[in-house]
Amino acid sequence: MKPDRLPIVLRALVWTTAVVVVLVMGLPMLNVLAVSFSTPASSENPGLVLFPSDFSVEGYSFVWNTIDIWRPFLNTVFVSVMGTIIHALLAALGGYVLSRSDLPCRKALTTFVLLTMMIPNELTLVSIYAVNKQFGLINSYAGLIINGAASGFSVLLMRNYFSCIPSSLSEAARIDGCSETGIFWRIFLPLSKPGLATVATLELIRRWNNIAMTVTLVSDMAKTTLPVVLRWLLFEMSSTSGTAYVYANARMAAVVISAIPLVLLYAFAQRFFVAGALSGSIKG
Amino acid sequence: MPPKGQSTFAAALRHRSLYLMFLPVALYFLLFSYYPFFKGILMSFQANRLIGPRPFVGLANYREVIADPDFIRSIFNSLVIGLADMGLYFILSLFLALCLAELTKRSVRRTVQTVSYLPYLFSWSVIAGIWVLVFDQRGIVNTIVGLFGAEPTFFLAEPGMARPLIIGMGAWRSIGYFAVLFVVAINDIDPTLYEAARIDGASRLRQIASVTIPSLRPTMNVVIVLLAMGVLTHFDEMFVMQNAANKTRIGTLLLYIFDMGITKFKAGFATAGATLVMAGTLLLVSLVRKAVKYDEA
Repeated sequence: MKPDRLPIVLRALVWTTAVVVVLVMGLPMLNVLAVSFSTPASSENPGLVLFPSDFSVEGYSFVWNTIDIWRPFLNTVFVSVMGTIIHALLAALGGYVLSRSDLPCRKALTTFVLLTMMIPNELTLVSIYAVNKQFGLINSYAGLIINGAASGFSVLLMRNYFSCIPSSLSEAARIDGCSETGIFWRIFLPLSKPGLATVATLELIRRWNNIAMTVTLVSDMAKTTLPVVLRWLLFEMSSTSGTAYVYANARMAAVVISAIPLVLLYAFAQRFFVAGALSGSIKG
Repeated sequence: MPPKGQSTFAAALRHRSLYLMFLPVALYFLLFSYYPFFKGILMSFQANRLIGPRPFVGLANYREVIADPDFIRSIFNSLVIGLADMGLYFILSLFLALCLAELTKRSVRRTVQTVSYLPYLFSWSVIAGIWVLVFDQRGIVNTIVGLFGAEPTFFLAEPGMARPLIIGMGAWRSIGYFAVLFVVAINDIDPTLYEAARIDGASRLRQIASVTIPSLRPTMNVVIVLLAMGVLTHFDEMFVMQNAANKTRIGTLLLYIFDMGITKFKAGFATAGATLVMAGTLLLVSLVRKAVKYDEA
C-alpha cells in the first residue's frame, strides 16, 4: 500500500499556508498590543513592533481618563449584558413552546418565527428608525436593549435543544402536579444550560460589536457604544474636535480595550462558539 | 366524539399558559420585525417625511431612486465588493480548511485554527484600528515593501486602494470563521470512506479529491447561500472606513440607504431603495440556490 501522505510539494504548501495564516493574522494583533503599551513617542516608531521598546500604560490612562472611553465601555457592558439576558430568556421561552409537539397551532407559530429570519435587518434600518421614533426609543438604552431582544435563529436553536429532552420528563412532572410554567422553570430550563450558553455567547458578541443598529438608534455620544466611539477616535477626532494629536499608543489602547473582553470570552467559552457555528450551518 | 374544531379549542384552552409564555416573543416579532418591514414598504410609496402625515406619491420615490446616479454607483460598488468578498471568503476558507485537515499535529492545527478565527470576534472598528496601524505610512506593510526598495505609500489615502483594502479586511476577518464550518464538516466524514479508498490504492491527494471534496458539497452549498445573502448587505465595514475621499469607491447600497434615510431624513426615498435591494437579494439568492441545486439536495 502507498504511504498515506501527500507528496512533498503539497505538504510544503500546507505548511506554508499554516505559517502564512498565523503570521498574517497574528502579527498585526501583536503589533497593536505592543504599540498600545509603548510611550507616545516610541509608539510612532516605524516598522514591525512586536514588543514595546519603552513599556508604558500612558496610552490606556489617556483614553480612559482624557477621552473618557470608560463611558462608552460601561454603556456597551450594560446594553450588551441586559440585552443578552433578555434575548436568552425569550429564546428559551419561545423555543420551549415550539418544542411542545402537543400544542395546537404549533406549525403556524413556527412559520411565524421562521419568516422573521427572511427579513434582512440591515435593510429595514430606516423603518426601524421610524418605528423606534414612534415608540420613543431613539437615543435611549432601552431602544438599544429591546431591538434584537429576540431572533428567529435563537428561538429555533433552543427549540431544537428542547426537542432532544424526552417528553416523559414533563409527563412525570405533570402527574406530580407541577404547573406548565413550573415544568419550564424547574425542569427544562436547567437542562438546557449548554444551549442557553451558546445562544448567550453568540448574542453577547453580536451586541458588543454592533454598529448598524447603534448608529441608527443613537446619535447622542454620551449614550453610544465602544465601536462607534472607537471609529470616531480613529478617524474623526483630530479633524472634528480640534484636540491635540492622539498618539498611536492611545489609539491602539482603545482598540485593545474594545477587543480584549471578546478574546477573554472566547478563551473561556470556546466550545459554545463551535456549537453555534455548527447550528448556523444547519440547513433549513 | 366531539367535533374536531371543539376539541382543538379545548386543547388550546388547556395550553393557555404555553401561549402566554410565547406572548413576549410574538409581541417582539410583531412590533420590531414585521411592523418595520411592512412599514418600510408602505413608506416607500409615501412622501419623504419621518414624522407627521405622509401623502401617498405612488411610484415617485422609486423613479427618483433609479434616476439617482449615486444609487446606480452604489449598486456597482455593492456588486464589486460583495461578489469579490463572496468568492474570496469561499475559496480561501475552503483552502484553509483543507490545509488544516492535513496538519497531523493536533496542537499545530488548533493554534492555526484559533489564530485565524480570532479576527472574526472583533467589531469592524477594531479591524479598522488594526489595519490602520498595519497600513500606516510607517507600518508593517510599508516596512516590508521598503525592503524591496519601494517608496512608502499611504494606502488609506490612496483612492485606488479603497476597494482592495476593504475586500482584504473582510477576507482577513472572515475566512477563519468559514474555515471552521468546513473543518467541522470534514471531521464528520465517515472514516471508513477513507479506509476503503486507501485499500483501493488511492493516494492521499486522490482521497481529498474523491472523498473529502464530494462529502463537503452540502456544506459548500450552505456557505454559498449564506454568502449570497450577504452580497448586497455589507454595511459596517463601509460605515467605519468611509470618508469624503473614498465614498465614491466603497459607498455601497446600504450606506446610501442609511445616508438618505437616517442622515438626510429622506425616508420615502431610502425605503424605496431598501425595497429594491431586498428584491435584488431575493433574486440573487434564488439564482444561487438554483445554481447549486440547493433545494434538491
